[in-house]
Amino acid sequence: MDTLDTHAWLADHGDYLFRMARRQLHSDALAEDAVQETLLAAISAQARYAGHASPRTWLTGILKHKIVDQIRRNVREVELPRDADGEEAVDSLFRQDGHWAETVRPWGNPHAEAELSQLRRVLDDCADRLKPVMAQVFSLREVAGMETEEICKELGITPTNCWVLLHRARLFMRQCLELNGFSKAGAA
Amino acid sequence: MKWIVTCKETSLLASRAMDERLPFADRLAMRMHLAICKNCARFNRQLQEMRRLFRVETGADEAIAPGLTPEARRRIETEMQKKLGS
Repeated sequence: MDTLDTHAWLADHGDYLFRMARRQLHSDALAEDAVQETLLAAISAQARYAGHASPRTWLTGILKHKIVDQIRRNVREVELPRDADGEEAVDSLFRQDGHWAETVRPWGNPHAEAELSQLRRVLDDCADRLKPVMAQVFSLREVAGMETEEICKELGITPTNCWVLLHRARLFMRQCLELNGFSKAGAA
Repeated sequence: MKWIVTCKETSLLASRAMDERLPFADRLAMRMHLAICKNCARFNRQLQEMRRLFRVETGADEAIAPGLTPEARRRIETEMQKKLGS
């Protein structure tokens, strides 16, 4: 039988899968688990692989499910609507009358690749600083590009909670990015 | 339905609009606010910019993000061997 070189999966794609999982799970340990589960699932399913995609594409497809599984487990432990801290933090960004408490400063417009990878590093650092569930839901939406409806369904949270969570995540991300040099002094 | 929304409300609508098509009245209220409010217009642009930056597929990430640690690699390797042997 033509066996797949499973050893090569880890050697050739392990780091790639880990980085991808790390960006969405915001935890080294959870990302390692997701990679391990992916490779073990791949061993079980190798008969179905049949070489119709590149190994990386195939493994990445399995990884996506494992990432959602991990997040689902995580979400179960958190009571989203009772997150009073999050609510207060949002309130602090606005005045009582609903206006922004501080001016929303404009961002620069980086194009050079070096600048962009610097920015991406800041983006990932800021995402890591969100509360875990918030960071993971945000990443499913903005990094993985999953539809919100799909995210809610997969994680068993209501659309309203999803919007609230994403709204908070985006407000905090914007604030974190501004504090870390995204804003351009003096630009219009 | 209210036609006059605050910045705080607009920020929620703008965020939601990144995820789905807003009901007509909400969309209109948001647009009217964005047309006159510089802060919210910026916030709205930045939401889109954030998405663009996050979604860029990049090889550059490989250079800056660490991969699996040797320990994790060994652990996974061991689990794979167990699975293959079973």
